[in-house]
Order: sequence, then C-alpha cells, then structure tokens
Amino acid sequence: MSEAIEKANAEPRWLRALLLFLGLGFLFLFLLLPLVAVFVEAFRSGWNAYADALSDRETLHAIKLTVVIAFVVLPVNIVLGVAASWAIAKFDFRGKGLLVTLIDLPFAVSPVVVGLVFLLIFGMQGLLGPWLEARGIRIVFALPGMILVTLFITFPFIARELIPLMLSQGADDEEAAISLGASGVQMFFRVTLPKIRWGLLYGVILANARAMGEFGAVSVVSGHIRGETNTLPLHVEILYNEYNAVAAFASASILALLALVTLAAKMLVEWRMRRENEALDAGFLPERGVALPNRP
Amino acid sequence: MIEISNVGKRFGNFTALDGIDLKIPTGELVALLGPSGCGKTTLLRIIAGMETPDAGNIRFAGADATRLHARERRVGFVFQHYALFRHMSVFENVAFGLRVKPRKERPSDAEIRRRVFDLLKLIQLEWLADRYPSQLSGGQRQRIALARALAVEPKVLLLDEPFGALDTKVRKELRRWLRRLHDEVHISSVFVTHDQEEALEVADRVVVMNRGRIEQIGTPDEVYSNPASPFVYQFLGNVNVFRDRVQGRWASVGNEALDGTTDGAENAETNPVAFVRPHDIEIEASAVEGAFESTVKDVHTIGPIVRVELLHETELIEAELTRERAHALSLTRGQTVWFKPRQIKIFNVPGNALEEGGSGI
Repeated sequence: MSEAIEKANAEPRWLRALLLFLGLGFLFLFLLLPLVAVFVEAFRSGWNAYADALSDRETLHAIKLTVVIAFVVLPVNIVLGVAASWAIAKFDFRGKGLLVTLIDLPFAVSPVVVGLVFLLIFGMQGLLGPWLEARGIRIVFALPGMILVTLFITFPFIARELIPLMLSQGADDEEAAISLGASGVQMFFRVTLPKIRWGLLYGVILANARAMGEFGAVSVVSGHIRGETNTLPLHVEILYNEYNAVAAFASASILALLALVTLAAKMLVEWRMRRENEALDAGFLPERGVALPNRP
Repeated sequence: MIEISNVGKRFGNFTALDGIDLKIPTGELVALLGPSGCGKTTLLRIIAGMETPDAGNIRFAGADATRLHARERRVGFVFQHYALFRHMSVFENVAFGLRVKPRKERPSDAEIRRRVFDLLKLIQLEWLADRYPSQLSGGQRQRIALARALAVEPKVLLLDEPFGALDTKVRKELRRWLRRLHDEVHISSVFVTHDQEEALEVADRVVVMNRGRIEQIGTPDEVYSNPASPFVYQFLGNVNVFRDRVQGRWASVGNEALDGTTDGAENAETNPVAFVRPHDIEIEASAVEGAFESTVKDVHTIGPIVRVELLHETELIEAELTRERAHALSLTRGQTVWFKPRQIKIFNVPGNALEEGGSGI
C-alpha cells in the first residue's frame, strides 16, 4: 500500500532497477556461478567417483594435515591476538602506533613473499637453517614451517577484530572487578572474556577459513611432498595439473563447503553481536521512586 | 581516616595534581568539586589505587597505602557509567566481590545469597535480582553499582560523578538517597562532581579544586558564604565582578558604607577586584544613600526568582530578586533604578585575569 507513495528524494525507478541488476548480476556471475560449478564438476562422474576421489589416501592425508595446521594455529593465534589487543587497548606505551601497523603487515604482504621470507630464515641456505639442521630440527618443507607461515598469515584476523572492540568497551569494567577484589586471572575470565567472546569467535572463524584455505605461503614452504606436506588447497592444484578434474573438484568442494559453513557461522555471530549491542543501547526504562522505606 | 599528603601527579606535560593535602575523617561524606580537568577524578583514582601518584603518600587508618594494589585497598568504586557486568544478572553483579574472594575467605552460597539480598533490600531493588543491567533504568543501574561496591564491606566508598549520566530529576532524588544511605551504612564516602548544587546539598565537607590544587576545604555553608579565593567565589554560584574601580567608589562602598571584607585591599601593587553575588544586590525605585543609578537592560523570570540585568555606566550587573520584590518594583526595560550591594568581598588578584570556569560577568 505504500508503493503508491514515491519519496521525493528517491532515485528514479530505472536507476534503481539498473543498480539492482548490476549488483545481483555480478554476484551471480562471479560468486554463485563458480560455487555451483565446483559442485557440478565434482559430481560430473557420479556420486561413486566423488566418494572414491575423497577416500583416496593422499586426499585424506591432505584433509588431515589441513585440520592439524588449523588446530595448532588457532589456539596460538587466540592467545597472541588477545594479548596484543589487550596491550594496545588498555596500555599506553612507546611504539604503540608501530605495533598497530605491524599487526596489519600480513595483510599487506603477498603470501608468496611471506613463504620466501620464511625460506630465507629457516631454509638450508638461510639464517637459522643450518644451525637448526645440525640439531635435527626441520622447519622448511615440513609441518613446522607450514604452521609458522599460517600463523603469520592469520595473525591479524583476531587482533583486528578485538582491538576496536576493546577500545570501545574501555577499562571501567576491569577496574571495577579489580576494586572488588578480583585477581587478574579472575578479571579476565569473568569480566573481559565474556565481553569479547563474540568478537573473538568472529575473528577465529575468519582466521580458520584463511588457515585452511591459505595457498601461496604454504605452497612455498611445503616443498610439495605428496602424501606428506600437501594441504587441501595444494592438493587441489596438484590434482588439477594432472588433469584429474573430478578428484580436483571433489577436493575443492570440501573447501567450498568450508566457505559456506564459515559464512553461516559468521552470520550467526554477527547476529548475536548485534543483538547484544542492541540490548546494551536500549533506552532506559522509566524511573521509579528511590525513597528509602521507613525503618524501625 | 584517610590522609593524603603532598600528592602530585603529572601526565606528560600536564600537571593533574600538585601538592594535595587532604584528610578525610571516618564517616564523612566529602565532595571533590571543581571544573573538568581540575584533577578531582585523578585524585579519586589515586585514592582507589587505579593511578599511582608521582609524589606524596596516602594513609588509610594510619597505615601507608601509597603502593598498595587496588585489589587490597578495600575501597568501593562507583563509576559514572555504572560499569555493571552486562553479562551477569543483578544478583551476580552484587555477588561478584564475594565470589572472587580466595577460597578460605569466601562465604558459602547461602551466605552470599543472604548478603546480596540484604544489600538489594537496602537499595530497595530486590525485585530486580534476576534482571540484566540492560533491562534497568539509569538510576537503577547506579544503585545496583552502589550495592555491588558495598558488598565487599569497603572502608571507603568512592564515587566518580555518580549522577552525571542521569537526568535532573533522578539526579536530585538519587543524591538525597545517597546521603541517607551514607548515614545508614556508616562509611567514609568521597564523591567527585562538577555540579556545585550537588556538592552543597549532599556533602558534609566540600573540597573545591582548580588546576590540580585545592582552593578551599570547608562545610558547604563555609565555601559558599565565605569563599577563600576569587575562583571559589566564581565557581560556586553566579557573581558580579568589578575590577579596577575598587580603589575608587567600590572600595569605599566595601569599606565604609557596607559590611564588606577587604582582605588587604590597601596593597596597591596588586589588582583589587570586588565580588558581589546577584542575590546580594538590592534594587530601589528611587535614589537612596549609597546606591548607584542604573538602567534596566533585561528582566527574566526563572521559576521562583527574577534575574535583572542592569547597566551601570559601561558595566553590566546581574541581580536576583524574589518574584514579589520584582512585582512590587514592576521593572520594565529602560527603566532607571538604583541598586545597592548588600555584601561585597574584595580580593587582591595578581595582575593576570581571573580564571575561566566561573560564571562571573
């Protein structure tokens, strides 16, 4: 019924239609179509071929390795991210601006360069490589190196989510907790963590998606040893280069599913965060009298 | 008894506090009053242990507490924006201080429940125990914050602009309520405010601060009717300021015709300035002894009082009359009247101008 009322400042109908068409068309062509294509290709030779491709020993190993890397990287990044955000949000110190800029460094540098830098440091011709090799520690072309580069690449996700959140929340709650006698640990787990939990979870979801999907940096330090240092994204590339399209897309479909799960989880967390903020910003209820009762 | 001696604090180049000496006797309700940036909140936070002073020391009941951690000071702190834990119910907020005690000292669950409900009854909000802070009004939140601070049986209660975020009506109710609560729980309380009315109404003693220093300490009546400095005069209520003319006619008015104080106005090196409160000015319709001729510039009726702007030669003078008096005079713009200060206070102000922040004209 409100359709009849045209807002005076509204764009003309044809412009709205054009913008809508451009936006949705782009979304369909560049995002939805490829996603559908992944699954279509994966199932081209039927369900059995798909299942066979996924139950291949090397594919299973790639999946396992990807999960292992994420499992190691995420807890470390949670601790480092919370620590860095805490330091930046609650303390004033020299070089704070530099630290904030450095946190963004992994976003600014190409992942391939990150991989090369780690090769330079830990490789056989690198700075620490020979020293480590002499002690039987292998970083590059092995799991530790892949974990290190993934840590580096995914570090900003949690910190960048938490810093603005913690800055906006201020330190009043923490000071209140301390003045009520809480220890630092009690303050963190009872007051700070509940306040930042949704922001933290949001950062973890994004970091996880990146940790599992990272290609460039991991590719450089992995050495592409089949069945040993191949993560899922690397495995997809190898299979595709061998013209094994069904297996490649089957593996890719797992990554695509991961993306969909990530999106859903992200939406859910965003919704929870918004709801919590709305509850917080909700207007005050009407005041009631504050007179003390007559005491005997 | 809290003794603060020679406390100083700097933030970079800014001197927040400079040589503060203050004694807070047990059981008193003390207001730290001053304009924003005067250091009052910093002083409160130093008492609480949330800031460390650069100089001086603080004693709680005779024992040095300067380096004592905030956790060990047994102070209750109430924040302007409540700082309630929003993920906890009202009950859990109040119980927080009891639940975080070391196992040996921690009361049983039943005991915690009893004490929390006692406090909620004290603040008359026991019916809100299961609500969350977001479901409460501002006044309710602040009362819960107060109950939470009292739960750990603090030796002193510190309140940082406790009513600053509330609207006028609630603020007035709540500050009277605080006064009664303070008398009921027998505790020393210090609250920070920039609202002179609040300080004068509620406190046993008012500490007027400016630029990191204490200007005056006294009962509300003392600081209002006998201000120790031009700043206090200007900060507590409206005041007419007359400069440069004190040695002439104003001084003679102050010294002889009226019961004014001069505080060494005879020293010609400095710059004597006369202060007259608007309600200490009488207006007459005809010339009387010692009165000055002036023109009515404007008349505003503000609730029970009438504020009159007078033009005397080149100076604007503000006077406050009761409605009845104003009615009897039937003042109109442009009318010629005679005014006469009932009370004048003269200060010697060293060369530079008076501080901003006051409401002098």
